[in-house]
Amino acid sequence: MSIVTTHSATAPTTATGAALAASSKFKVFATTFSIAGPVAYCLCVYFNWPVFTYFPVTGRFYWGLQGVQSGTGPNMLWYGWTVTTILIAGALGIIAMMLPERVTKKIPLFLVWLVPILAIPYVVYSLMFWWRLAMRG
Amino acid sequence: MTSPISTSAVFWTIWLFVHLILALGLLGALTHQAMATAFPVRQSAGGIVTRFRAVSAPGYATAVCVLYVLVFLVGSFIYTCYRINIRIPLEQGHYFKTGGFFDFKEHVATLGLVLLPAYWYFWKNAQNPEYDNARKGVTLVLAVMVWFLFIVGHVLNNARGFGS
Repeated sequence: MSIVTTHSATAPTTATGAALAASSKFKVFATTFSIAGPVAYCLCVYFNWPVFTYFPVTGRFYWGLQGVQSGTGPNMLWYGWTVTTILIAGALGIIAMMLPERVTKKIPLFLVWLVPILAIPYVVYSLMFWWRLAMRG
Repeated sequence: MTSPISTSAVFWTIWLFVHLILALGLLGALTHQAMATAFPVRQSAGGIVTRFRAVSAPGYATAVCVLYVLVFLVGSFIYTCYRINIRIPLEQGHYFKTGGFFDFKEHVATLGLVLLPAYWYFWKNAQNPEYDNARKGVTLVLAVMVWFLFIVGHVLNNARGFGS
């Protein structure tokens, strides 16, 4: 009888990939980034912190938040929110890497999957204007 | 002679297909992995469902990350066309739920993107039992997110996408 192992096997990786996978510093960066990311994203949406605004009709980018003006067409904030989120989560990940191991060992790993689940009710709430319009028909 | 509008439609349709094909690859890989994680197979058997679960799940991690980023980038590119040519007519037609679900989809796409570093790390250390629960949790959350993104994208395409 053959046993199919799904946990012991590891895929062949590049030298860089193998080094990252073996690095305890990268573990701290990755877990902090993934835990902080959803929180940072919700904050970016709530406070409206796009690092840039894009206007698809004119094809122009502007630093920070730029409102719609006549002739510019609609603005797009999501790209800016996403980049802000990556910058914040990346910065927090780098800061976490500098902390002593006795501190970083205490980061609960279950937060990696729990925090994005907890972020979902907020993002649904943040779209309330759509749901209100839908209810009005 | 081809008009600028039809040339543009072909251009965006090709990108939409690229987005779809990459998304299908991602969906397949992540679903295999999620099934192997949630219902691990202890012995090989002949059934199609068992074989579906009996994949070497760690081997999918890098492919899932690369595919997710590619789908995300192509989707972000198509999004510019959506914002002008799809969303405005949806609003004018009072398809507010459809528009709302697309915005929900963009939020979920970013939430999934930021999970990738930890997801990748946990799978590259699949031999470490310390990460078993976190790996299972993040894989299942990511799989649910990708299915949600796929279904919303598919419904939106049916509402006003290819051929509209």
